[in-house]
Amino acid sequence: MTDSSVNNPDGRARLLKLPSVFLILPSLFLSALVIGYPIFDVLRMSISDVNRYGHVRGFAGVDNFLKIFNDPIFLQATNQTLIWTFCVVGGTLLISVPIAIILNGNFFGRSVARTILLLPWAVSMAMTAVVWKFVVNGDFGMLNHTLETFGLIDTKIPWLADATFAFAIEILVGILVSMPFTVTILMGGLSAIPDSLYEASSIDGASHWQKFINITLPLLRPFLQISVVLNVIYVFNSFPIIWIMTRGGPANKTDILITYVYKQAFAFGRIGNAAAGSVMMFAILLGFSLLFLFITRSPKETL
Amino acid sequence: MIGKPLRTLISWLLLLPIIIVILFPFAVMLSTALKRKDEVFTFTLTWFPKEIYFGNFAELFLELGFGRAIFNSLYISLGATLVSLALALPAAYALSRLPIRGKGFFTGYLLITQMISPIVLILGLFRMFAALGLINSHNALIIGHSAFFMAFAVWMLKSYFDTVPKDLEEAAWMDGASRLRAFGAIFLPICIPGIAVTSIFTFVNSWNEYAMSLTMLRDADMQTAPVQVAFLTGTLYEIEWNLIMAGTLVTTIPVAIIFSGIQGYLVRGLSVGGVK
Repeated sequence: MTDSSVNNPDGRARLLKLPSVFLILPSLFLSALVIGYPIFDVLRMSISDVNRYGHVRGFAGVDNFLKIFNDPIFLQATNQTLIWTFCVVGGTLLISVPIAIILNGNFFGRSVARTILLLPWAVSMAMTAVVWKFVVNGDFGMLNHTLETFGLIDTKIPWLADATFAFAIEILVGILVSMPFTVTILMGGLSAIPDSLYEASSIDGASHWQKFINITLPLLRPFLQISVVLNVIYVFNSFPIIWIMTRGGPANKTDILITYVYKQAFAFGRIGNAAAGSVMMFAILLGFSLLFLFITRSPKETL
Repeated sequence: MIGKPLRTLISWLLLLPIIIVILFPFAVMLSTALKRKDEVFTFTLTWFPKEIYFGNFAELFLELGFGRAIFNSLYISLGATLVSLALALPAAYALSRLPIRGKGFFTGYLLITQMISPIVLILGLFRMFAALGLINSHNALIIGHSAFFMAFAVWMLKSYFDTVPKDLEEAAWMDGASRLRAFGAIFLPICIPGIAVTSIFTFVNSWNEYAMSLTMLRDADMQTAPVQVAFLTGTLYEIEWNLIMAGTLVTTIPVAIIFSGIQGYLVRGLSVGGVK
């Protein structure tokens, strides 16, 4: 028996169907306009010959895609996007699991600790990027100053002028801003694990590590999976940190696909290239989602 | 089992490194915003300003016209919150309470829109708003933000509505109240906390949004507070970090305080909704 037949025994359900659709339509309409139409437009641009003012001059087939595949900076940016996404998502998970476990425990000042740990979420990524850009400033930044105070470096390092340092710092900032959301999801998962499981395993003499491996991790798995999926999407598409700190420089060494696309569209006026780049990003994310579904589905039977 | 005092000590010690990394930029923000310019641009830096100096804030508002940017941000964020709430409330109510054909399709669709970041579509969005004559218009951002943040609002509201017992409304129907009256007089008042949290979250997201605002607002005096602060780091010949840090402080601290107030509700709402 369905919900509606219980609540509406005399056919009221049928009468209510019309208005309930009208409750949903406005929201559906807005997102179809603002999200649906641009998707269509980007797809259309990617296979069109477009001038820098966005006028379509004709059908271009796969020309735009060939152009970006022949652009070494696009290939470099793709490679750097994979490194960026892997490092930020991996790093976020590595620190979020222990943080969530600690915050899930009972200790004095837990709500204060939780507020501090979730604080980076409240700050816009743009502002976080601005402050870190200053913190790692070669001449007047507090990072060099602090390292000097502790005698760890002799001369000031211009961190963002060096591609390797700059990318590493951006990855660390990326981990920092992705952590609160991930911790939040994992804390939800941990609070759903009944204490009785841990108590029973204590009676059986299980160590903390054994409990973690045999109880916590398996029961946390759906929450880990959802945080991997959402983080990959967010991080892959993340724009402000890299844009504000280095604009993809020096020498495009910190460019990721989204900063590449942005420059193609709004700095160089290569609309076709930008659209093709956006479509490639969609394709990669779609591929990831399908692969992830495939990987996480199959082992379920063995558990 | 270890005692609570020992557990407290261990927990804080383990969290200490990450807490330092989180608070470090806030300390830098505060310390720099309260320093005179010549104290920021020296090679012998100190954490504490020689004197607490509020002149940076005065210069920020009087000379750089930062009040305008704050107003722009407020207008957009309030507008986006109202529009997204006006559309999300009925949708969430319908999803939570009414029998609808294609419910699964609608929630799936919302989930997909949630996964599409505005930045990937920025080219399409820019072209659409340009065609509508909405470049340099704050209303374009209200529309854009409410569309992208609405899925989340529907999701959070629905998970909150699901926790409200149906009996309460049904009792009102029995007493002869119409559905609308029962909704307004019984259901809505109970849901005010959930609606408040959702509104604040939308407001904060809109306030913090960067890429869409950067792209749609072309004139400096139209820009939002985060965009204007970030803009200052890349354009001035001599980057005035004292002013920039004053700007980040003004843009960040009020929102961070509001956010801290609702963070407990988010933990509950998100984790329940997240995996269902």
